[in-house]
Amino acid sequence: MLTMNLEGLEMIAVLVVVVLFVKVLEQFGLLEAGYDDSVEDELELSAVRHRPEGLEQLEAQTRFSRKELQILYRGFKNECPSGVVNEETFKDIYSQFFPQGDASTYAHFLFNAFDTDHNGSVSFEDFVMGLSILLRGTVQEKLNWAFNLYDINKDGYITKEEMLDIMKAIYDMMGKCTYPVLKEETPRQHVEVFFQKMDKNKDGVVTIDEFIDCCQNDENIMRSMHLFENVL
Amino acid sequence: MAAGVAAWLPFARAAAIGWMPVATAPMPVPPQEKRRGKDGLIVLNVSGTKFQTWRDTLERYPDTLLGSTERDFFFHEDSNEYFFDRDPDIFRHILNFYRTGKLHYPRQECISAYDEELSFFGIIPEIIGDCCYEEYKDRRRENQERIQDDEEADPGNELVSADLSFRESMWRAFENPHTSTMALVFYYVTGFFIAVSVLANVAETVPCGSVPNRAKEMSCGERYALAFFCLDTACVMIFTVEYLLRLLAAPSRYRFVKSVMSIIDVVAIMPYYIGLVMTDNEDVSGAFVTLRVFRVFRIFKFSRHSAGLRILGYTLKSCASELGFLLFSLTMAIIIFATVMFYAEKGSSASKFTSIPAAFWYTIVTMTTLGYGDMVPKTIMGKIFGSICSLSGVLVIALPVPVIVSNFSRIYHQSQRAEKRRAQKKTRLARIRAVKSGGAKAYLQYKRSRLLIGPDQEASKEAGQALVCKTNPNFEVHHHHLLHCLEKTTNHEFLDEKTFETSLREVTLVKQVSRSSSISSASSPHGFTSCCSRRKRKTFNVPNSNMSVGLQGSIQELSTIQIRERPLTNSRSSRSSLNAKFEETVPLNCEQPYITAAVISMPTPPGTTPEGDDSASSTDYSQANIVRVSAL
Repeated sequence: MLTMNLEGLEMIAVLVVVVLFVKVLEQFGLLEAGYDDSVEDELELSAVRHRPEGLEQLEAQTRFSRKELQILYRGFKNECPSGVVNEETFKDIYSQFFPQGDASTYAHFLFNAFDTDHNGSVSFEDFVMGLSILLRGTVQEKLNWAFNLYDINKDGYITKEEMLDIMKAIYDMMGKCTYPVLKEETPRQHVEVFFQKMDKNKDGVVTIDEFIDCCQNDENIMRSMHLFENVL
Repeated sequence: MAAGVAAWLPFARAAAIGWMPVATAPMPVPPQEKRRGKDGLIVLNVSGTKFQTWRDTLERYPDTLLGSTERDFFFHEDSNEYFFDRDPDIFRHILNFYRTGKLHYPRQECISAYDEELSFFGIIPEIIGDCCYEEYKDRRRENQERIQDDEEADPGNELVSADLSFRESMWRAFENPHTSTMALVFYYVTGFFIAVSVLANVAETVPCGSVPNRAKEMSCGERYALAFFCLDTACVMIFTVEYLLRLLAAPSRYRFVKSVMSIIDVVAIMPYYIGLVMTDNEDVSGAFVTLRVFRVFRIFKFSRHSAGLRILGYTLKSCASELGFLLFSLTMAIIIFATVMFYAEKGSSASKFTSIPAAFWYTIVTMTTLGYGDMVPKTIMGKIFGSICSLSGVLVIALPVPVIVSNFSRIYHQSQRAEKRRAQKKTRLARIRAVKSGGAKAYLQYKRSRLLIGPDQEASKEAGQALVCKTNPNFEVHHHHLLHCLEKTTNHEFLDEKTFETSLREVTLVKQVSRSSSISSASSPHGFTSCCSRRKRKTFNVPNSNMSVGLQGSIQELSTIQIRERPLTNSRSSRSSLNAKFEETVPLNCEQPYITAAVISMPTPPGTTPEGDDSASSTDYSQANIVRVSAL
């Protein structure tokens, strides 16, 4: 029985020695414990700095006055010191206006609508061009912009799926504490109402002409287009 | 909300044009655009140091000194600037707050001086940014302790635990024993049994006096074998139950099973079960005896009860590289010196240095300066090398130790700071929630004020706003108009959390009442009993709009019953929110347009009524509410 005892304890001793040996090997660097020094983190893409075009050029391209452009740029640069907005920052800023809900989906669509050259970031020029249309454009231009926003894949047609995505994004901004309580099918019903109104030839998609025609015949929409004219 | 994004409000409002074609209802009228003041630079002379900024920057926060007309008191005509006789160094931070929206706390300033400046300029310290908030709170607390004030910063209310499932609450009880008395009892009981088990392990090997028919002394374990066995069984029972409960309650069972503590638990109770299975087999009983060694692992279970032990374990884990280096250098030295000693002592007769591995023992004992004396060099060369060995041993061991010590101290302080941060996290969460709900309340306030005035009384809107609430800053008004447009687009309204929860409770209650009984029942007790009796009926679909009026009546009825029983709890829970809201001068009249104008649309949700005033008047009001609804 004594020998049995010794054997058991010896095994433990052997195990300990083996573990120590492994540790020593590690010291040699033969068994690296996976130390990945991510050097790439050091080279952060801090090269993304953008300077906008001159004031005169922007004045010519948009319908804003010099002073307005100055105010806009100061606000823009305050939030985005690097001069460009990427989608994350955009979502962040927009979400601050709708604290109760989740504005990130709608902000994503808005970002795509503003990012006209689709390079993943909104520069001051993109920003100001978009605002120029929205605040100082003709009704035609505004409706055009809205159509562009709804047409997610930019193929010239608004399908029900695209509209449903947009509608869900808008309803997401309300959050859950609403009255009456938001149900699952509310956005879908709203999309049905929208399509009934807009889709004249009932082919399941809304083209730009149907859209503009229908909006121009609707008094409420026409009136609301002029709502934000004196925002700046 | 950070006023840095106030500059983006025009953008958000412009983007709202995207909702217009989708909306089915007309949009609300935008607020009057206030005549823009001269957009100029303002010079602020603070004790000789001149600061300049835009007028708009200062007016972002109209409820502070610099943002309101209060600064006119400090206007100095001779030099056409605003003069403040205050500390310019601290003023720098205050001005930065206007610029960036974040208030920072400079570490080198005295906390009381900083507080004074903040209160002078009308800035509440609670808006200090998260980066500096902990430091600020720490210093403040130190200061208060120093002046012997008994203002213990209470870390807010307990997190709402209403919707924790049983499993989650059990897990919480295991992880934080201080959450409930049951958890505390469990904690102490397990600690006691761990101690008892370890003591029993130790005691059963103590010699207990000899028995006549045995030559040598028996250990206590053999003498009182049955008692020790029963004790061991009891302890293992407790440990098994504890382990199973923890396994049941763990949010991620796989992760739990992998964790160190669970392995220790398993290793602590395994020997007993293995012993139960294998008592009769003679061959393996030797191994079984070996397994008993593992029972000592039960002492590691104490690490759940002691934070210091955990820190020690964590330190050792994080010092693994230093320990590894120590081990490596020691191994090198041992091998070198053992080889040298072996060859040095080879010549002498009857030397104990029979082989190099045998010399290892001597080297280790000498290097750690233990010096047992069971192996001693006899030749001169051996003695010389032996002394070199002991001297170098001292050096090699002394080098990595301070590194380990400093590591330990760093981790210990880190854990202390983590404890502090955890205590402050609750305050911070409460703060964030208060801001969020404050924003929602401000918006609802704005809406009620607009409804009160009516859309066609634009002229008196200014007066009305001044009547109902304090001067709304321009930004707030526009922001509320934006939220109002969103409501109109989606045909849904914003509610704050409390109202939403109470209305949700009523809706679930409605689902248990059948249609006919609710409409037919006129008086409250009858309706209530019928509702109770039919509670079993689960299949009940929410009525369509035709029935909605009648059912709303029943909701109201049920809610009055509910309100009568629940007003105390409801008002107590919403006491903080009541304090946060400011006075509603005309709450009753506000509700009226909803009720009288709406024949088809739903009447006022009953949830809002207990919130308006204290419980007594709310019940009266809701009774009055009922009368109106059923009259429809």
